[in-house]
Amino acid sequence: MEELRMMLVDDEERFLSTTKKLLAKRGYDVVTATNGSEALELLRIQNIHVVVLDVKMPGMDGIETLKAIKRSFPLVEVIMLTGHATVESAVDGLKSGATDYLMKPTDVNDLIEKVEEAFSKRQVLESRIRVAQTRSFMKSPRDIIRESEET
Amino acid sequence: MWRLYKRQEAMTKNHYATMRRTLLGVMILVPIIPFIMILAVGYYYFATSLETSTVATMKRIVEDHRQMIDSFLEERKADLDFILHIYHYGDLAEPGNLYDVFEQLQKESQAFVDLGVFNEEGIHVTYQGPYKLIGRDYSQETWFTQVLKEGCYISDIFLGFRRVPHFVIALAKEEAGRKWVLRATIDTYMFNGLVEKVRIGQTGEAYLLNSKGIFQTERRSGGNLIDKDPEKIEFPASGGIKTFISEDIRGDAFLYATTWLKNKKWLLVVRQQKSDAFGALRSAIYLTLLVTLLGGGAIIGTAFYLTDRIVGRMEKMDEDREQLSGQLIRASRLAELGEMAAGFAHEINNPIQIIKNEQALMEVNLTELKEAGEIEESTPLEELEDSLHQISLQISRCAQITQAILKFGRQTEPVSRDVDLREFIPEVTSMVANKASVHGIDLKQQVAEGTPPIHGDPGQLQQVLLNLFNNAIDAILARHGPQGGELVVGAGAKEDGKVKIFVSDNGTGIGPEDQKKIFSPFYTTKPVGKGTGLGLSVCFGIIGKMGGTMEVTGEENVGTTFTITLPRAA
Repeated sequence: MEELRMMLVDDEERFLSTTKKLLAKRGYDVVTATNGSEALELLRIQNIHVVVLDVKMPGMDGIETLKAIKRSFPLVEVIMLTGHATVESAVDGLKSGATDYLMKPTDVNDLIEKVEEAFSKRQVLESRIRVAQTRSFMKSPRDIIRESEET
Repeated sequence: MWRLYKRQEAMTKNHYATMRRTLLGVMILVPIIPFIMILAVGYYYFATSLETSTVATMKRIVEDHRQMIDSFLEERKADLDFILHIYHYGDLAEPGNLYDVFEQLQKESQAFVDLGVFNEEGIHVTYQGPYKLIGRDYSQETWFTQVLKEGCYISDIFLGFRRVPHFVIALAKEEAGRKWVLRATIDTYMFNGLVEKVRIGQTGEAYLLNSKGIFQTERRSGGNLIDKDPEKIEFPASGGIKTFISEDIRGDAFLYATTWLKNKKWLLVVRQQKSDAFGALRSAIYLTLLVTLLGGGAIIGTAFYLTDRIVGRMEKMDEDREQLSGQLIRASRLAELGEMAAGFAHEINNPIQIIKNEQALMEVNLTELKEAGEIEESTPLEELEDSLHQISLQISRCAQITQAILKFGRQTEPVSRDVDLREFIPEVTSMVANKASVHGIDLKQQVAEGTPPIHGDPGQLQQVLLNLFNNAIDAILARHGPQGGELVVGAGAKEDGKVKIFVSDNGTGIGPEDQKKIFSPFYTTKPVGKGTGLGLSVCFGIIGKMGGTMEVTGEENVGTTFTITLPRAA
């Protein structure tokens, strides 16, 4: 079982630093980014399971970032952080592939709860992938050897 | 700024004053000018026709009268002529015969006073009559000399030997180379009566003047026989009736009609006081003046009244329009404010989030320090912890407020769903709980247990309730000040199965007149700038769209209750 790795994306630096500290005290490893492009960069380099993404950001905004992430890293779970309190942006986010949404201002505990939920979903997905892959391996040793010789 | 406003006000007042003057001017002049013209023309024609007809009547009277007098004289002449032809001088020289003749003559006409025969020398030979005239010598008398010359003569009034005013008709005849004269005296009194008896109005009179202006008959208004007529009137040159107006010596104006008699050079004068003759004209003048005054007064009065009404109405319309535009401006400003509030709430959320996080971190660090034994329990520590806790609470409160604002400011399509009032009402009430408690208002909730759910957009329902709450709080504050206010919100089922929601307060109350109008748009009892008058009319509309009704009850200085009735959710 891998350890949960998450990323926080928000344009407020202070929010990132303090939340990171709080989460660290609870034993979580957190990566932070202040804008969408930085977030995508980090996703390329590191293996991240859950992204908590602020909807309203200057430059590449939340929904755009969400769509980009889902395009390039479909397995990454994204939780929208919306200060809008408008159902639309949450609905938009969910339709565009977000796993869940949180309303600002959030409680750290609520945040952790949602992240864990998303992570377990990710784990279930990963285990299913492995099962599917294993099934394909289990076809015949000769096929496996042939495949490994071909690659 | 105030001066600018005052000047604008003065300009507006000027504008109305000018309008008023113009309207007044037009409304008075336009009817009055034709009115006066009609009256003037009518009066002129009336006056002219009256004058003409009066003068015509006068002329007719004069003509008829003249004819009558002329006839009289003609007949008397004819009577004498008859005698002259039948009898000879010798016959009539006998007194006895003359007496018979005279008797016959008097049967013809009572106008004959006496009868006399004169010889060529002018001696009164025979006489029948009351006077002692026999033997008198008349050869020097004008009438005698004239009658010998002309054969027929009517004299003017003269005294004669009898020393009594009279006039005579004399005829002369030639017989056997000698002339003789037959003369009769006409009864002055009777003749007078004949001439005088003409009725024309109140002051009409007729009299005869000779060519020298001497009265031949008495004038009713003063003028004795043989006196000279004091009024200097023009004598017409020849025949024909002459009418004119002249003033007498006393200054009264008279309408005169004069004509010469045919049988004698006497002027028949008929006159009537002008005021009498044209009396109808005088009353016409009075009547016209009266009508002018009344009509003019009515026109002017109506003009003033109508102008007042019109200008007043225009002023009111302008006022209303200004008020409306002011309200529109306020309404749009409020809408802008609403949007600003939403933006504000968005912005605030970020700092609030950060503060929340920092507070959480502080709590965690403090716990760590305590567990590591770095700090000891003490009062300051307790207070620190307490403060941290408070911060957390207040942050939650901020969050709730911004959530409420943002929910309220949403401009999404109303989304109807079933709403459980037992949860919903407390939720909305809590939004004003603080405001209420700050103002010393006792906030009570009476949501009945069995309250059925209703179907509607919770956002709009919240809007309605908040509006009612805010109105109630304002009313309570206006009446009670900082203490003693009571606000009750409740819900329950009605007998007919519908659901009722009520908001009750003990504020200033609403009078019966205002209660009727209170759901109208732009109706507000609040002073200018405070309140648009939109709230209740919008609420009324919202409830109506939900299929419900809204009512207000209450009394001034007691309180007000708004009751919403909605159908229950199916």
